Amino acid sequence: MTDVTSDIAQDVAPPLSFAQRYRKPLLGLFAVVLFFAAWQAAFLVVPFNKLFISKPDLIAESFVDLLLSGELLRDLAVSAVPFLYGFTAAVIVGVMVGIVMGWRMRVGYALDPLMTVFYASPLVALAPLVIVFFGVGVSGKAIIIFLLAVFPFIFNAYAGVRAVDRLLINVVRSLGGSEKDLYLKVIVPSVLPYIVAGARIAVGRALIGILVGEFFAASEGIGYAIARFGDLFALDKMFACIFAIMVIAVVLTEGIRWAERAAFPWRVGQ
Amino acid sequence: MGRARRVPVASRAIAMSESQTLKAELAPAGEPAAPARNGWHRFEPVLLGAGSIVLLLLVWGILPQIVTLSAGTKLFFTTPSQVAGTLWRLFATGVIWKPLGVSAAGFAIGLAMAIAVGLPLGVLIGRSRMLNAMFDPFITAFNATPRLVFLPLVMLWFGLGLWSKVLIVFIGALFPILINTYEGVRNADKLLINVVRSFGAKEWDVARLVVVPNSMPYIIAGLRLAIGRAVLGVVVAEFFGSEAGLGVMMVQAAGRYQVDIVFSGLIIFAVLSLAMTALVQILENRLSRWRPQHAAEF
Repeated sequence: MTDVTSDIAQDVAPPLSFAQRYRKPLLGLFAVVLFFAAWQAAFLVVPFNKLFISKPDLIAESFVDLLLSGELLRDLAVSAVPFLYGFTAAVIVGVMVGIVMGWRMRVGYALDPLMTVFYASPLVALAPLVIVFFGVGVSGKAIIIFLLAVFPFIFNAYAGVRAVDRLLINVVRSLGGSEKDLYLKVIVPSVLPYIVAGARIAVGRALIGILVGEFFAASEGIGYAIARFGDLFALDKMFACIFAIMVIAVVLTEGIRWAERAAFPWRVGQ
Repeated sequence: MGRARRVPVASRAIAMSESQTLKAELAPAGEPAAPARNGWHRFEPVLLGAGSIVLLLLVWGILPQIVTLSAGTKLFFTTPSQVAGTLWRLFATGVIWKPLGVSAAGFAIGLAMAIAVGLPLGVLIGRSRMLNAMFDPFITAFNATPRLVFLPLVMLWFGLGLWSKVLIVFIGALFPILINTYEGVRNADKLLINVVRSFGAKEWDVARLVVVPNSMPYIIAGLRLAIGRAVLGVVVAEFFGSEAGLGVMMVQAAGRYQVDIVFSGLIIFAVLSLAMTALVQILENRLSRWRPQHAAEF
Protein backbone atom coordinates (compact mmCIF):
# COMPACT_ATOMS: atom_id res chain seq x y z
CA MET A 1 0.00 0.00 0.00
CA THR A 2 2.69 2.41 0.97
CA ASP A 3 4.63 1.37 -2.10
CA VAL A 4 1.76 2.29 -4.36
CA THR A 5 1.31 5.74 -2.86
CA SER A 6 4.99 6.47 -3.08
CA ASP A 7 4.90 5.44 -6.73
CA ILE A 8 2.05 7.84 -7.35
CA ALA A 9 3.86 10.56 -5.50
CA GLN A 10 6.84 10.06 -7.75
CA ASP A 11 4.72 10.37 -10.85
CA VAL A 12 3.69 13.87 -9.90
CA ALA A 13 6.50 16.04 -11.19
CA PRO A 14 8.19 18.13 -8.53
CA PRO A 15 7.59 21.86 -8.99
CA LEU A 16 10.15 23.16 -11.43
CA SER A 17 12.28 26.16 -10.71
CA PHE A 18 12.24 29.10 -13.11
CA ALA A 19 15.54 28.05 -14.66
CA GLN A 20 14.34 24.49 -15.15
CA ARG A 21 11.06 25.43 -16.72
CA TYR A 22 12.51 27.95 -19.15
CA ARG A 23 15.70 26.00 -19.74
CA LYS A 24 15.37 25.91 -23.50
CA PRO A 25 14.59 29.59 -24.21
CA LEU A 26 17.13 30.66 -21.62
CA LEU A 27 19.85 28.54 -23.19
CA GLY A 28 18.88 29.89 -26.60
CA LEU A 29 19.01 33.47 -25.39
CA PHE A 30 22.34 32.76 -23.75
CA ALA A 31 23.72 31.38 -27.02
CA VAL A 32 22.55 34.41 -28.99
CA VAL A 33 24.03 36.83 -26.47
CA LEU A 34 27.23 34.80 -26.44
CA PHE A 35 27.37 34.94 -30.24
CA PHE A 36 27.09 38.72 -30.39
CA ALA A 37 29.49 39.16 -27.47
CA ALA A 38 32.04 36.95 -29.19
CA TRP A 39 31.56 38.88 -32.44
CA GLN A 40 32.13 42.15 -30.61
CA ALA A 41 35.05 40.84 -28.60
CA ALA A 42 36.81 39.27 -31.56
CA PHE A 43 37.94 42.68 -32.77
CA LEU A 44 39.87 43.28 -29.56
CA VAL A 45 42.24 40.63 -30.90
CA VAL A 46 41.76 40.77 -34.67
CA PRO A 47 42.36 44.10 -36.41
CA PHE A 48 39.06 45.67 -37.45
CA ASN A 49 38.57 46.48 -41.12
CA LYS A 50 35.46 48.57 -41.71
CA LEU A 51 35.33 47.64 -45.39
CA PHE A 52 35.26 43.95 -44.74
CA ILE A 53 33.18 43.30 -41.62
CA SER A 54 31.15 45.20 -39.12
CA LYS A 55 30.66 45.10 -35.37
CA PRO A 56 27.39 44.58 -33.45
CA ASP A 57 27.55 48.03 -31.82
CA LEU A 58 28.03 49.78 -35.18
CA ILE A 59 25.23 47.69 -36.69
CA ALA A 60 22.86 48.54 -33.86
CA GLU A 61 23.76 52.19 -34.25
CA SER A 62 23.02 52.28 -37.97
CA PHE A 63 19.88 50.21 -37.46
CA VAL A 64 18.56 52.90 -35.12
CA ASP A 65 19.70 55.57 -37.59
CA LEU A 66 17.89 53.92 -40.50
CA LEU A 67 14.81 53.42 -38.39
CA LEU A 68 14.68 56.99 -37.09
CA SER A 69 15.33 58.57 -40.47
CA GLY A 70 12.45 56.50 -41.85
CA GLU A 71 14.67 55.09 -44.60
CA LEU A 72 14.26 51.49 -43.53
CA LEU A 73 10.49 51.72 -43.18
CA ARG A 74 10.19 53.43 -46.55
CA ASP A 75 12.23 50.69 -48.24
CA LEU A 76 10.16 48.00 -46.53
CA ALA A 77 6.92 49.69 -47.54
CA VAL A 78 8.09 49.87 -51.16
CA SER A 79 8.94 46.18 -51.14
CA ALA A 80 5.70 45.25 -49.41
CA VAL A 81 3.53 46.43 -52.33
CA PRO A 82 4.60 43.87 -54.96
CA PHE A 83 4.82 41.29 -52.18
CA LEU A 84 1.16 41.78 -51.31
CA TYR A 85 0.01 41.80 -54.95
CA GLY A 86 1.99 38.72 -55.90
CA PHE A 87 1.16 36.79 -52.77
CA THR A 88 -2.57 37.56 -52.93
CA ALA A 89 -2.69 36.45 -56.54
CA ALA A 90 -0.79 33.29 -55.61
CA VAL A 91 -3.26 32.47 -52.83
CA ILE A 92 -6.32 32.98 -55.04
CA VAL A 93 -5.03 31.22 -58.15
CA GLY A 94 -3.15 28.49 -56.29
CA VAL A 95 -5.99 27.50 -54.00
CA MET A 96 -8.50 27.50 -56.85
CA VAL A 97 -6.33 25.42 -59.17
CA GLY A 98 -5.43 23.04 -56.35
CA ILE A 99 -9.04 22.51 -55.31
CA VAL A 100 -10.18 21.86 -58.88
CA MET A 101 -7.29 19.42 -59.32
CA GLY A 102 -8.33 17.60 -56.17
CA TRP A 103 -12.04 17.71 -56.86
CA ARG A 104 -11.99 16.50 -60.47
CA MET A 105 -9.83 13.44 -60.77
CA ARG A 106 -9.18 13.92 -64.49
CA VAL A 107 -8.04 17.52 -64.04
CA GLY A 108 -5.70 16.27 -61.33
CA TYR A 109 -4.27 13.62 -63.66
CA ALA A 110 -3.85 16.15 -66.43
CA LEU A 111 -2.20 18.94 -64.47
CA ASP A 112 -0.15 17.05 -61.89
CA PRO A 113 2.88 16.23 -64.09
CA LEU A 114 2.85 19.67 -65.67
CA MET A 115 2.82 21.41 -62.31
CA THR A 116 5.52 19.09 -61.01
CA VAL A 117 7.75 20.04 -63.93
CA PHE A 118 7.14 23.73 -63.25
CA TYR A 119 7.74 23.31 -59.54
CA ALA A 120 10.96 21.36 -60.08
CA SER A 121 12.46 23.86 -62.46
CA PRO A 122 14.11 26.84 -60.82
CA LEU A 123 11.61 29.44 -61.96
CA VAL A 124 13.81 32.17 -60.51
CA ALA A 125 15.71 31.63 -63.72
CA LEU A 126 12.90 33.37 -65.56
CA ALA A 127 13.40 36.51 -63.47
CA PRO A 128 15.65 38.32 -65.97
CA LEU A 129 13.12 37.71 -68.72
CA VAL A 130 10.20 38.88 -66.59
CA ILE A 131 12.08 42.01 -65.60
CA VAL A 132 13.04 42.79 -69.18
CA PHE A 133 9.48 42.22 -70.34
CA PHE A 134 7.47 43.86 -67.56
CA GLY A 135 9.96 46.47 -66.49
CA VAL A 136 11.45 47.24 -63.13
CA GLY A 137 8.25 48.43 -61.51
CA VAL A 138 5.72 46.76 -59.28
CA SER A 139 4.29 44.45 -61.94
CA GLY A 140 7.55 42.65 -62.77
CA LYS A 141 8.32 41.98 -59.13
CA ALA A 142 4.75 40.93 -58.37
CA ILE A 143 4.90 38.42 -61.22
CA ILE A 144 8.17 36.92 -59.99
CA ILE A 145 6.68 36.60 -56.50
CA PHE A 146 3.53 35.06 -57.92
CA LEU A 147 5.50 32.51 -59.96
CA LEU A 148 7.48 31.42 -56.92
CA ALA A 149 4.66 31.43 -54.38
CA VAL A 150 1.81 29.86 -56.37
CA PHE A 151 3.03 26.25 -56.44
CA PRO A 152 3.01 25.54 -52.69
CA PHE A 153 -0.63 26.65 -52.66
CA ILE A 154 -1.53 24.49 -55.66
CA PHE A 155 0.10 21.37 -54.30
CA ASN A 156 -1.11 21.81 -50.74
CA ALA A 157 -4.71 22.58 -51.70
CA TYR A 158 -4.58 19.56 -54.04
CA ALA A 159 -3.24 17.32 -51.27
CA GLY A 160 -5.74 18.77 -48.80
CA VAL A 161 -8.75 18.02 -50.95
CA ARG A 162 -7.54 14.52 -51.64
CA ALA A 163 -7.02 13.97 -47.92
CA VAL A 164 -10.67 14.68 -47.11
CA ASP A 165 -11.98 11.59 -45.43
CA ARG A 166 -14.74 10.08 -47.59
CA LEU A 167 -16.05 8.24 -44.56
CA LEU A 168 -16.69 11.53 -42.79
CA ILE A 169 -18.59 12.86 -45.78
CA ASN A 170 -20.77 9.75 -45.78
CA VAL A 171 -21.33 10.02 -42.04
CA VAL A 172 -22.47 13.64 -42.31
CA ARG A 173 -24.79 12.71 -45.17
CA SER A 174 -26.24 9.68 -43.37
CA LEU A 175 -26.95 11.69 -40.26
CA GLY A 176 -28.90 14.18 -42.33
CA GLY A 177 -26.31 16.93 -42.59
CA SER A 178 -26.89 19.60 -45.19
CA GLU A 179 -24.47 20.56 -47.93
CA LYS A 180 -23.44 23.51 -45.74
CA ASP A 181 -22.58 21.19 -42.85
CA LEU A 182 -20.55 19.12 -45.26
CA TYR A 183 -18.44 22.11 -46.19
CA LEU A 184 -18.15 23.70 -42.75
CA LYS A 185 -17.65 20.55 -40.70
CA VAL A 186 -15.62 18.31 -43.00
CA ILE A 187 -14.13 19.88 -46.09
CA VAL A 188 -12.90 23.27 -44.89
CA PRO A 189 -11.42 21.96 -41.61
CA SER A 190 -9.51 19.33 -43.52
CA VAL A 191 -8.27 21.49 -46.41
CA LEU A 192 -7.47 24.69 -44.53
CA PRO A 193 -4.52 23.33 -42.53
CA TYR A 194 -2.88 22.23 -45.76
CA ILE A 195 -3.33 25.66 -47.28
CA VAL A 196 -1.88 27.39 -44.24
CA ALA A 197 1.08 24.99 -44.28
CA GLY A 198 1.49 25.91 -47.94
CA ALA A 199 1.40 29.59 -47.02
CA ARG A 200 4.34 29.06 -44.68
CA ILE A 201 6.42 27.64 -47.51
CA ALA A 202 5.18 30.22 -49.96
CA VAL A 203 6.18 33.12 -47.71
CA GLY A 204 9.81 32.04 -47.82
CA ARG A 205 9.73 31.71 -51.60
CA ALA A 206 7.99 35.05 -51.99
CA LEU A 207 10.77 36.69 -49.97
CA ILE A 208 13.28 35.17 -52.38
CA GLY A 209 11.21 36.59 -55.21
CA ILE A 210 11.27 40.11 -53.88
CA LEU A 211 15.02 39.99 -53.32
CA VAL A 212 15.67 38.64 -56.80
CA GLY A 213 13.47 41.30 -58.34
CA GLU A 214 15.13 44.09 -56.43
CA PHE A 215 18.69 42.88 -56.82
CA PHE A 216 18.18 42.84 -60.55
CA ALA A 217 16.75 46.19 -61.16
CA ALA A 218 15.20 48.60 -58.73
CA SER A 219 15.74 52.07 -57.40
CA GLU A 220 14.15 51.51 -54.02
CA GLY A 221 13.09 48.69 -51.74
CA ILE A 222 14.82 46.60 -49.13
CA GLY A 223 16.65 44.34 -51.59
CA TYR A 224 17.95 47.37 -53.42
CA ALA A 225 19.05 48.87 -50.08
CA ILE A 226 21.11 45.80 -49.25
CA ALA A 227 22.74 45.70 -52.67
CA ARG A 228 23.46 49.46 -52.63
CA PHE A 229 24.96 49.48 -49.12
CA GLY A 230 27.10 46.55 -50.23
CA ASP A 231 28.31 48.48 -53.25
CA LEU A 232 29.05 51.48 -51.02
CA PHE A 233 30.94 49.28 -48.55
CA ALA A 234 28.58 50.59 -45.85
CA LEU A 235 28.66 47.26 -44.11
CA ASP A 236 27.07 48.38 -40.88
CA LYS A 237 23.99 49.57 -42.76
CA MET A 238 23.95 46.47 -44.92
CA PHE A 239 24.01 44.23 -41.84
CA ALA A 240 21.22 46.31 -40.32
CA CYS A 241 19.06 45.69 -43.41
CA ILE A 242 19.96 41.99 -43.43
CA PHE A 243 18.89 41.70 -39.80
CA ALA A 244 15.65 43.50 -40.62
CA ILE A 245 14.91 40.90 -43.32
CA MET A 246 15.84 38.06 -40.99
CA VAL A 247 13.47 39.39 -38.32
CA ILE A 248 10.65 39.77 -40.84
CA ALA A 249 11.22 36.29 -42.24
CA VAL A 250 11.25 34.71 -38.80
CA VAL A 251 8.16 36.63 -37.68
CA LEU A 252 6.24 35.63 -40.81
CA THR A 253 7.13 31.92 -40.80
CA GLU A 254 6.97 31.44 -37.04
CA GLY A 255 3.78 33.51 -36.92
CA ILE A 256 2.11 31.20 -39.41
CA ARG A 257 3.43 28.19 -37.53
CA TRP A 258 1.96 29.62 -34.32
CA ALA A 259 -1.35 30.35 -36.04
CA GLU A 260 -1.42 26.77 -37.31
CA ARG A 261 -0.97 25.47 -33.79
CA ALA A 262 -3.60 27.83 -32.39
CA ALA A 263 -6.18 27.41 -35.13
CA PHE A 264 -5.81 23.75 -36.02
CA PRO A 265 -4.98 21.99 -32.74
CA TRP A 266 -6.25 18.73 -34.22
CA ARG A 267 -3.32 18.70 -36.58
CA VAL A 268 -0.57 19.29 -34.04
CA GLY A 269 2.24 16.85 -34.50
CA GLN A 270 1.51 16.12 -38.12
CA MET B 1 6.01 2.53 -31.02
CA GLY B 2 8.99 3.86 -32.83
CA ARG B 3 7.54 2.92 -36.14
CA ALA B 4 4.15 4.41 -35.40
CA ARG B 5 5.70 7.68 -34.37
CA ARG B 6 7.77 7.89 -37.48
CA VAL B 7 4.95 7.88 -40.00
CA PRO B 8 3.83 11.51 -39.82
CA VAL B 9 6.72 13.52 -41.11
CA ALA B 10 7.68 16.06 -38.50
CA SER B 11 6.14 19.45 -39.09
CA ARG B 12 9.54 21.03 -39.32
CA ALA B 13 10.50 18.74 -42.15
CA ILE B 14 7.34 19.59 -44.06
CA ALA B 15 7.95 23.25 -43.57
CA MET B 16 11.23 22.79 -45.36
CA SER B 17 9.65 21.51 -48.50
CA GLU B 18 10.71 23.65 -51.33
CA SER B 19 11.02 21.15 -54.07
CA GLN B 20 8.64 18.77 -55.65
CA THR B 21 9.01 16.41 -52.70
CA LEU B 22 6.42 18.51 -50.94
CA LYS B 23 3.70 16.59 -52.63
CA ALA B 24 5.07 13.25 -51.68
CA GLU B 25 5.41 14.28 -48.08
CA LEU B 26 2.05 15.88 -47.63
CA ALA B 27 -0.03 13.42 -49.52
CA PRO B 28 1.25 9.92 -48.88
CA ALA B 29 -0.60 7.72 -51.35
CA GLY B 30 -3.77 9.74 -51.11
CA GLU B 31 -5.58 8.33 -54.14
CA PRO B 32 -7.19 5.01 -53.42
CA ALA B 33 -6.11 2.76 -56.25
CA ALA B 34 -8.99 2.33 -58.63
CA PRO B 35 -9.53 -1.19 -59.82
CA ALA B 36 -8.15 -1.55 -63.34
CA ARG B 37 -11.19 -2.19 -65.45
CA ASN B 38 -9.67 -1.83 -68.86
CA GLY B 39 -6.70 -0.33 -70.65
CA TRP B 40 -8.09 3.19 -70.77
CA HIS B 41 -8.65 3.37 -67.04
CA ARG B 42 -5.22 2.03 -66.26
CA PHE B 43 -3.43 4.47 -68.55
CA GLU B 44 -5.71 7.44 -68.02
CA PRO B 45 -3.46 9.30 -65.56
CA VAL B 46 -0.38 8.86 -67.73
CA LEU B 47 -2.16 9.75 -70.94
CA LEU B 48 -3.85 12.82 -69.48
CA GLY B 49 -0.61 13.96 -67.83
CA ALA B 50 1.47 13.56 -70.96
CA GLY B 51 -1.37 14.93 -73.06
CA SER B 52 -1.57 18.21 -71.18
CA ILE B 53 2.17 18.75 -71.57
CA VAL B 54 2.03 17.97 -75.28
CA LEU B 55 -0.98 20.23 -75.67
CA LEU B 56 0.79 23.10 -73.95
CA LEU B 57 3.82 22.69 -76.20
CA LEU B 58 1.60 22.54 -79.31
CA VAL B 59 -0.35 25.67 -78.40
CA TRP B 60 2.88 27.44 -77.59
CA GLY B 61 4.35 26.31 -80.89
CA ILE B 62 1.50 27.37 -83.18
CA LEU B 63 0.61 30.53 -81.26
CA PRO B 64 2.57 32.82 -83.61
CA GLN B 65 0.63 31.34 -86.57
CA ILE B 66 -2.78 32.14 -85.09
CA VAL B 67 -2.13 35.41 -83.33
CA THR B 68 -0.03 38.08 -84.93
CA LEU B 69 2.38 39.28 -82.33
CA SER B 70 3.48 42.87 -82.17
CA ALA B 71 7.09 43.51 -83.06
CA GLY B 72 7.94 44.21 -79.42
CA THR B 73 6.43 40.99 -78.16
CA LYS B 74 8.11 39.01 -80.93
CA LEU B 75 11.42 40.04 -79.48
CA PHE B 76 10.55 38.13 -76.32
CA PHE B 77 8.95 35.19 -78.02
CA THR B 78 10.32 31.80 -78.79
CA THR B 79 8.80 28.49 -79.77
CA PRO B 80 9.44 25.00 -78.43
CA SER B 81 11.06 23.98 -81.70
CA GLN B 82 13.44 26.95 -81.52
CA VAL B 83 14.32 26.02 -77.92
CA ALA B 84 14.90 22.41 -78.92
CA GLY B 85 17.11 23.54 -81.79
CA THR B 86 19.10 25.80 -79.52
CA LEU B 87 19.52 23.05 -76.95
CA TRP B 88 20.77 20.70 -79.65
CA ARG B 89 23.15 23.35 -80.99
CA LEU B 90 24.51 24.12 -77.52
CA PHE B 91 25.37 20.49 -76.91
CA ALA B 92 26.51 19.71 -80.47
CA THR B 93 28.98 22.58 -80.62
CA GLY B 94 30.06 21.90 -77.04
CA VAL B 95 29.57 25.52 -76.01
CA ILE B 96 27.52 24.38 -73.07
CA TRP B 97 30.15 22.22 -71.34
CA LYS B 98 32.26 24.99 -69.88
CA PRO B 99 29.49 26.97 -68.14
CA LEU B 100 27.79 23.73 -67.14
CA GLY B 101 31.02 22.50 -65.57
CA VAL B 102 31.46 25.72 -63.61
CA SER B 103 27.90 25.51 -62.29
CA ALA B 104 28.22 21.83 -61.50
CA ALA B 105 31.42 22.41 -59.55
CA GLY B 106 29.78 25.08 -57.39
CA PHE B 107 26.79 22.83 -56.84
CA ALA B 108 28.79 19.72 -55.98
CA ILE B 109 31.26 21.38 -53.61
CA GLY B 110 28.53 23.32 -51.81
CA LEU B 111 26.29 20.29 -51.42
CA ALA B 112 29.17 18.09 -50.26
CA MET B 113 30.11 20.68 -47.63
CA ALA B 114 26.50 20.92 -46.50
CA ILE B 115 26.34 17.15 -46.05
CA ALA B 116 29.70 17.05 -44.29
CA VAL B 117 28.62 19.71 -41.80
CA GLY B 118 24.87 19.06 -41.59
CA LEU B 119 24.96 15.34 -40.84
CA PRO B 120 27.27 15.34 -37.81
CA LEU B 121 25.80 18.57 -36.47
CA GLY B 122 22.27 17.19 -36.85
CA VAL B 123 23.21 14.04 -34.94
CA LEU B 124 24.90 16.13 -32.23
CA ILE B 125 22.00 18.48 -31.60
CA GLY B 126 19.57 15.56 -31.83
CA ARG B 127 21.44 13.73 -29.09
CA SER B 128 22.21 16.65 -26.78
CA ARG B 129 19.38 18.71 -25.34
CA MET B 130 21.69 21.52 -24.37
CA LEU B 131 23.24 21.92 -27.82
CA ASN B 132 19.77 21.75 -29.31
CA ALA B 133 18.55 24.59 -27.11
CA MET B 134 21.58 26.67 -27.92
CA PHE B 135 21.51 26.14 -31.67
CA ASP B 136 17.76 26.44 -32.07
CA PRO B 137 17.50 30.25 -32.42
CA PHE B 138 20.21 30.30 -35.08
CA ILE B 139 18.69 27.44 -37.04
CA THR B 140 15.24 29.02 -36.92
CA ALA B 141 16.56 32.40 -38.02
CA PHE B 142 18.77 31.16 -40.86
CA ASN B 143 16.23 28.68 -42.07
CA ALA B 144 13.47 31.26 -42.34
CA THR B 145 15.66 33.85 -44.03
CA PRO B 146 16.12 33.65 -47.79
CA ARG B 147 19.81 32.87 -48.34
CA LEU B 148 19.87 35.36 -51.15
CA VAL B 149 20.01 38.17 -48.62
CA PHE B 150 23.59 37.22 -47.78
CA LEU B 151 24.71 37.29 -51.38
CA PRO B 152 26.01 40.90 -51.48
CA LEU B 153 27.96 40.21 -48.30
CA VAL B 154 29.34 36.93 -49.58
CA MET B 155 30.35 38.66 -52.80
CA LEU B 156 32.22 41.28 -50.84
CA TRP B 157 34.09 38.60 -48.96
CA PHE B 158 34.75 36.03 -51.66
CA GLY B 159 34.52 37.98 -54.89
CA LEU B 160 32.95 36.80 -58.11
CA GLY B 161 34.63 33.42 -58.25
CA LEU B 162 33.67 29.92 -57.33
CA TRP B 163 33.69 30.29 -53.58
CA SER B 164 30.89 32.79 -53.13
CA LYS B 165 28.70 30.44 -55.16
CA VAL B 166 29.80 27.50 -53.04
CA LEU B 167 28.95 29.40 -49.87
CA ILE B 168 25.46 30.35 -51.07
CA VAL B 169 24.78 26.75 -52.10
CA PHE B 170 26.17 25.58 -48.76
CA ILE B 171 23.96 27.89 -46.67
CA GLY B 172 20.92 26.87 -48.70
CA ALA B 173 21.50 23.14 -48.58
CA LEU B 174 22.75 22.93 -44.99
CA PHE B 175 19.48 23.51 -43.16
CA PRO B 176 17.25 20.90 -44.83
CA ILE B 177 19.91 18.27 -44.12
CA LEU B 178 20.58 19.53 -40.59
CA ILE B 179 16.93 19.80 -39.56
CA ASN B 180 15.88 16.49 -41.08
CA THR B 181 18.82 14.66 -39.52
CA TYR B 182 17.88 16.20 -36.21
CA GLU B 183 14.25 15.15 -36.53
CA GLY B 184 15.30 11.64 -37.49
CA VAL B 185 17.65 11.36 -34.54
CA ARG B 186 15.00 12.65 -32.16
CA ASN B 187 12.58 10.02 -33.37
CA ALA B 188 14.98 7.12 -33.01
CA ASP B 189 13.60 4.29 -30.91
CA LYS B 190 14.58 4.90 -27.27
CA LEU B 191 14.21 1.20 -26.51
CA LEU B 192 16.82 0.25 -29.10
CA ILE B 193 19.17 2.91 -27.77
CA ASN B 194 18.77 1.56 -24.25
CA VAL B 195 19.36 -1.98 -25.42
CA VAL B 196 22.56 -1.05 -27.20
CA ARG B 197 23.68 0.96 -24.20
CA SER B 198 22.97 -1.96 -21.87
CA PHE B 199 25.34 -4.03 -23.92
CA GLY B 200 28.04 -1.48 -23.27
CA ALA B 201 27.91 0.69 -26.38
CA LYS B 202 29.50 4.11 -26.34
CA GLU B 203 27.79 7.19 -27.80
CA TRP B 204 29.62 6.59 -31.09
CA ASP B 205 28.23 3.05 -31.31
CA VAL B 206 24.74 4.32 -30.50
CA ALA B 207 25.00 6.75 -33.37
CA ARG B 208 26.44 4.19 -35.77
CA LEU B 209 24.16 1.25 -34.89
CA VAL B 210 20.82 2.84 -34.03
CA VAL B 211 20.53 6.53 -34.60
CA VAL B 212 21.89 7.02 -38.09
CA PRO B 213 20.30 3.93 -39.68
CA ASN B 214 17.00 4.89 -38.08
CA SER B 215 17.06 8.43 -39.34
CA MET B 216 18.04 7.42 -42.88
CA PRO B 217 14.59 8.15 -44.38
CA TYR B 218 14.65 11.60 -42.82
CA ILE B 219 18.17 12.28 -44.03
CA ILE B 220 17.25 11.24 -47.55
CA ALA B 221 14.16 13.46 -47.50
CA GLY B 222 16.39 16.29 -46.33
CA LEU B 223 18.82 15.55 -49.13
CA ARG B 224 16.04 15.80 -51.68
CA LEU B 225 15.05 19.21 -50.38
CA ALA B 226 18.69 20.23 -50.22
CA ILE B 227 19.16 19.42 -53.90
CA GLY B 228 16.31 21.73 -54.84
CA ARG B 229 17.73 24.49 -52.73
CA ALA B 230 21.24 23.95 -54.00
CA VAL B 231 20.09 24.30 -57.61
CA LEU B 232 18.26 27.48 -56.63
CA GLY B 233 21.42 28.69 -54.92
CA VAL B 234 23.51 28.09 -58.03
CA VAL B 235 21.03 29.98 -60.18
CA VAL B 236 20.75 33.07 -57.99
CA ALA B 237 24.44 33.19 -57.12
CA GLU B 238 25.29 33.13 -60.80
CA PHE B 239 22.68 35.73 -61.63
CA PHE B 240 24.15 38.32 -59.35
CA GLY B 241 27.72 37.50 -58.55
CA SER B 242 29.62 35.30 -60.92
CA GLU B 243 31.65 35.56 -64.04
CA ALA B 244 30.98 32.11 -65.46
CA GLY B 245 28.34 29.44 -65.35
CA LEU B 246 24.98 28.48 -66.73
CA GLY B 247 23.18 31.24 -64.83
CA VAL B 248 25.56 33.87 -66.20
CA MET B 249 24.90 32.55 -69.68
CA MET B 250 21.16 32.92 -69.12
CA VAL B 251 21.35 36.47 -67.77
CA GLN B 252 23.52 37.55 -70.67
CA ALA B 253 21.14 35.91 -73.11
CA ALA B 254 18.16 37.65 -71.52
CA GLY B 255 19.95 40.95 -71.92
CA ARG B 256 20.44 40.18 -75.63
CA TYR B 257 16.81 39.02 -76.04
CA GLN B 258 17.97 35.48 -76.84
CA VAL B 259 14.96 33.99 -75.14
CA ASP B 260 15.62 30.52 -76.56
CA ILE B 261 18.91 30.34 -74.67
CA VAL B 262 17.18 31.38 -71.44
CA PHE B 263 14.65 28.58 -71.84
CA SER B 264 17.39 26.11 -72.75
CA GLY B 265 19.18 26.96 -69.52
CA LEU B 266 15.95 26.60 -67.56
CA ILE B 267 15.35 23.18 -69.07
CA ILE B 268 18.89 22.04 -68.31
CA PHE B 269 18.54 23.14 -64.69
CA ALA B 270 15.14 21.43 -64.37
CA VAL B 271 16.34 18.18 -65.93
CA LEU B 272 19.44 18.11 -63.73
CA SER B 273 17.44 18.72 -60.60
CA LEU B 274 14.86 16.08 -61.50
CA ALA B 275 17.60 13.60 -62.39
CA MET B 276 19.40 14.14 -59.11
CA THR B 277 16.17 13.80 -57.14
CA ALA B 278 15.54 10.51 -58.93
CA LEU B 279 19.08 9.40 -58.10
CA VAL B 280 18.47 10.11 -54.42
CA GLN B 281 15.24 8.15 -54.65
CA ILE B 282 17.16 5.16 -55.98
CA LEU B 283 19.69 5.58 -53.19
CA GLU B 284 16.89 5.64 -50.67
CA ASN B 285 15.33 2.46 -52.01
CA ARG B 286 18.72 0.77 -51.89
CA LEU B 287 19.48 1.95 -48.33
CA SER B 288 16.04 1.12 -46.98
CA ARG B 289 15.93 -2.38 -48.33
CA TRP B 290 16.37 -3.89 -44.88
CA ARG B 291 13.49 -1.89 -43.46
CA PRO B 292 10.17 -3.71 -43.38
CA GLN B 293 7.38 -1.70 -45.03
CA HIS B 294 9.77 1.11 -45.79
CA ALA B 295 7.53 2.14 -48.64
CA ALA B 296 4.78 3.03 -46.22
CA GLU B 297 6.91 5.48 -44.36
CA PHE B 298 8.00 7.95 -46.92
